[in-house]
Amino acid sequence: MTILRRLPLHPEWALGFLSLCVALSLPLLVQSYWLHVFTIGYFYAILASSWALLAGTAGQFSLGHMAFMAIGGYTSGVLGRFFGLPPLAGILVGTLAAGLVGWVIGALCLRFKASYLALFTIAFSEILRMLIRGEPQITRGDHGLHVAPLFGDVISRVPYYYTMLLFLLLCLLLMYWLTSTRVGLFLRAIREDEEAAAARGVDVVRYKVLAFVLTSMIAGLAGTLFAHYVAILTPNIMIIPQMGLVIAMAVIGGVESLVAAALGAVLIEVSLEALREFEAWRLVIFGALLVITLRFARNGLLAPVFQRLLRAGPRAESRERVVADGA
Amino acid sequence: MSYFWSLGATGVTMGVLYALMALGLTLIFSILRVINFAHGEFYMLGGYASYFILNAFTGLHPLLVIPLAGLATALLGLVFELAFLRPMHQGRIERPDEYAVLITFGLSFFLLNLALALFGPYPHRPPSFFEGTIDLGIVRLSADRLTASVMALILLGLLLLLINRTWLGKALRAVSQDKQAAAVVGINSLVMNSAAFAMGAGLAAMAGALLAPSFFVTPDVGAVPSIRSYVIIVLGGMGSIQGSILGGLLIGLVESLGVGYFPDPSRALNYKTAFGLVIFALVLLFRPRGLFGRKEA
Repeated sequence: MTILRRLPLHPEWALGFLSLCVALSLPLLVQSYWLHVFTIGYFYAILASSWALLAGTAGQFSLGHMAFMAIGGYTSGVLGRFFGLPPLAGILVGTLAAGLVGWVIGALCLRFKASYLALFTIAFSEILRMLIRGEPQITRGDHGLHVAPLFGDVISRVPYYYTMLLFLLLCLLLMYWLTSTRVGLFLRAIREDEEAAAARGVDVVRYKVLAFVLTSMIAGLAGTLFAHYVAILTPNIMIIPQMGLVIAMAVIGGVESLVAAALGAVLIEVSLEALREFEAWRLVIFGALLVITLRFARNGLLAPVFQRLLRAGPRAESRERVVADGA
Repeated sequence: MSYFWSLGATGVTMGVLYALMALGLTLIFSILRVINFAHGEFYMLGGYASYFILNAFTGLHPLLVIPLAGLATALLGLVFELAFLRPMHQGRIERPDEYAVLITFGLSFFLLNLALALFGPYPHRPPSFFEGTIDLGIVRLSADRLTASVMALILLGLLLLLINRTWLGKALRAVSQDKQAAAVVGINSLVMNSAAFAMGAGLAAMAGALLAPSFFVTPDVGAVPSIRSYVIIVLGGMGSIQGSILGGLLIGLVESLGVGYFPDPSRALNYKTAFGLVIFALVLLFRPRGLFGRKEA
């Protein structure tokens, strides 16, 4: 027991380690179809957790997260179609393009109160979708833009699964690191009281734009990964109900915790597949759950469960220490 | 030149309908300080309500159904306001501004999916108000479109009367200007919140019911009109009634003229709504409080 105690096995890490083991061994446990479901689940997890960083930590509401996802995907897809840009370079360029558009919109809207960002981004998202539909010579519109798969002729889904998982973990680590630095503190201060934060010397607009650009880039990255996995893009991926779904995932998971939002996304994506027989009613159920969660459980439904698990941890640890000290 | 005037006339006939819908949003914002992200879904429900009421009572004239559709949706809005927005104004919700965005967007997500599950993705079309087209001299419009515009104009007039000439209107204006002062003279702002939200929902629904014979109803039919309304209230100034009427007419004109003079006519319609986004960006850059807005943004 003493050896175990000396290992840095904090309950949080134990929980993370356990889920990571499950995620890593999943290709051995489930069929190819469910592997696909989980891959899409990780795609949504990247979107939901980055939206949660913006909304839950920085208190800024973008309703155009799916538009940035689509900018990433379409940038890479269109450049690949016309200039033969290879997928890896496309992932990089698509991510940067989403960040650039995010910077322009952020600089335009974030000088004002939060509601302008929500209004502008929802309008931007819907209008961008109409333009993508309306310019089929470039984007192939509703016929769908064919995108080169990341791993060429490989049919197996396993490499795609691990790629999406890897990028999900990288994004989570990056965002987790950001929230634990001074910047994270500034963002939380801005969320709680913008004027007070400004009075204490926080450059409010600058940090809001920083958070918006970063999360837009992460959404763009998710879009490029998605495009080079499913190999076809249609404007339907960015309809407003898709944005609603990502918000439902983040809120039901827990908008103030990145990991809870990500797990909420995976859980909801898997349940949507498992409940296939209910067809259109599935989203009605999750819509109702979203509204009820917002009203009665602001921390989400998953985050409190984690907190209980984690709180149980240190208490057990300290009890053990008391026993050890007594002996 | 006659081409210009006919585009202008089309723009104005649509503009009054845009104004009607945006006015609902303005009413809600000026009283509750909430942007209703489910406004497009109220518009959509108005269309479905008129379709199903007319199916149930076949003898009714389609025009008589408009107020009924508005009333039905207003009731739904009232229930939502009481259950989800009133607790916020009673101080029972942390960070109310964020909650307001998410809860109305959540309602929109719920209603859209509910409509999809109940009615399916296929378009429904309620019967015409009047058959045929009408020649106004400068432009020929379908009788349905013209009826919708005339009705919208009447409804706008009635609403202005209500706001400017009745006790309820005075109370609403008082709450929008200063909630505490209104409370001192005995106006219950919670009741006004419910009234404003129900009226706003009803206005959107009547706009939806008026346009349903011309453009059909699908679960996602509210997306474009709601986005247009967001542009209009920002352009007119958040919470300003004259701003949303003028803004509605302006956006109607800009869309009509923009499409009419677009260099490539085959693609012009795709850009119709995009002109609004350009206006949105210009307003944010040069006059963030809009045409008639109070200084608070």
